[in-house]
Amino acid sequence: MVKLHEMVRVLRSKNAGPFQLTYDLIFDGIESYERAVRSGIFNARDMAARLKRSETEVTVDLYPVGNAIKITVPRIHSSGSVGDTDVFGCQQHAPLMEIEVP
Amino acid sequence: MPDYIGADMGSTDIGPYYLGKGEIDGHRQIVFRDLEMVLLAGRRLDVPVLVGTAGSAGGKPHVDKTLDVLFEIAQKHRLSFRLAIIHAEVDKSYLTAKLAEGRVSPCGPVPALTQGSIDKATRLVGQMGVEPFVAALEGGADVVVAGRACDAAIFSAVPIMRGYDIGLAMHMAKIIECSSLCAEPGGRDAIMAFLSKDHFILESMNPERHSTPASVAAHSLYEQPRADGFSEPGGKVDISEVRYESEGNHRTKVSGSKWIPSLPYSIKIEGVEHVGYRYISMGAMRCPIAVREIRTILMRVQEIVDELLEGSVDPADYHLQFRPYGIHGAMGDGEVACDPRPIEIMVMTDVVASSPQIAQSVCSVARYNLLHYFYDGILATGGNLAMPFAPSDIFAGDVFEFTVYHLVEVDDPLELFKIDFVNVEEGVRCGETT
Repeated sequence: MVKLHEMVRVLRSKNAGPFQLTYDLIFDGIESYERAVRSGIFNARDMAARLKRSETEVTVDLYPVGNAIKITVPRIHSSGSVGDTDVFGCQQHAPLMEIEVP
Repeated sequence: MPDYIGADMGSTDIGPYYLGKGEIDGHRQIVFRDLEMVLLAGRRLDVPVLVGTAGSAGGKPHVDKTLDVLFEIAQKHRLSFRLAIIHAEVDKSYLTAKLAEGRVSPCGPVPALTQGSIDKATRLVGQMGVEPFVAALEGGADVVVAGRACDAAIFSAVPIMRGYDIGLAMHMAKIIECSSLCAEPGGRDAIMAFLSKDHFILESMNPERHSTPASVAAHSLYEQPRADGFSEPGGKVDISEVRYESEGNHRTKVSGSKWIPSLPYSIKIEGVEHVGYRYISMGAMRCPIAVREIRTILMRVQEIVDELLEGSVDPADYHLQFRPYGIHGAMGDGEVACDPRPIEIMVMTDVVASSPQIAQSVCSVARYNLLHYFYDGILATGGNLAMPFAPSDIFAGDVFEFTVYHLVEVDDPLELFKIDFVNVEEGVRCGETT
């Protein structure tokens, strides 16, 4: 098992417009990327559980030419609205860091 | 030498406030400094300067404030140029008509547009594609100041006008709109892109920021919901088969981006609504017993405040929330860490109300009750918050929300974006035409 944060050069969250939040997992090379993909854990159901979201809200895209995985969810509160905690959406990535990749 | 200089001046990333309030996110002096460098360079090299999403949000007041700075710079340096101003504010009647025609759809996970949202919107802007920039340049503009614009449109207009591949031009534009953020280490310095027939090369102007295949690929995913590409008015840029190759240590070559046109041609409309006024107050809890009891304390104080205000303030007129920084300030209910026990917690009392007066009253009542709440096991009966200063209730301005984020089908990519031309001679405005 390796923790996700030990396999990536970038692990970030960010707004994709004011109504969506997107997580970019940029792996440190093709080996790490392929290991992550092979593990099968980067799917909508598992990521939804990790992010406390429902499976239907989550998309998981592979980007092999960039050794990257992208996860996108709708924001609970739109950017800057009354209950929002993170206008730029840039500090929401922590729940993904400790994912154990077989 | 560059063929043009572009500057993306805004975004929705900064939240709904600036669009609603008509303000620039940043100080005028800083805008002056940046715009002066860009404008002087453009005139010295005699290449077009394109500024998009002027004044942070691209509405009329934002464009006007940007022009005010621009004319001051022109005057200071006695510059001569032909200026195009592209307006992006949208009339409510236009959107109402489009809604009635059934030509409006949500952009992403957004509720369907209602007439009520249009009526209540403080300001609406349309996000222009490349066509208005091209029209401005064809009208002889040396300098373009555009309202709300797609980031990629600013930087792809000149190459598309000259017949370069649209997919490559758009992909290049999408990356360089963030300046050197695509480099390693990322930063805000200027970047140069070299576009050819079948590829483009990226080079940060700061020799310490290196564009690498990994950093450029990573940036290609930035702020986009999907990994296979991104949508622009009139189509989509497919980046799923792109090649990122290093050109030495400092530069990266990109090829294989494809433009996939799609109809109907749509423009995204953004709009915000004024939802209230905010007061905040901040204080730190250091007592380990209070820290342990934080969830109960905040829940109970919230109830006490609501009970106290009952009868004097309508509950519909305020929204009170405590934000416990150190527990789940950054993530709110989305926090996954179980029962964190920090040394101290910064509690922000956050009140949004229908008037500044109500916000201030509720904030002070909440702060006092939090300060003097007697929780189970309390030892420190002098107060629960270390407040760093007094007065401790701070007016935090108007609060807006994005309520319109919808695509509108248009017949003509230019129909929303009126262009004015102004000749500036030796810093003085001369002829104006539309």
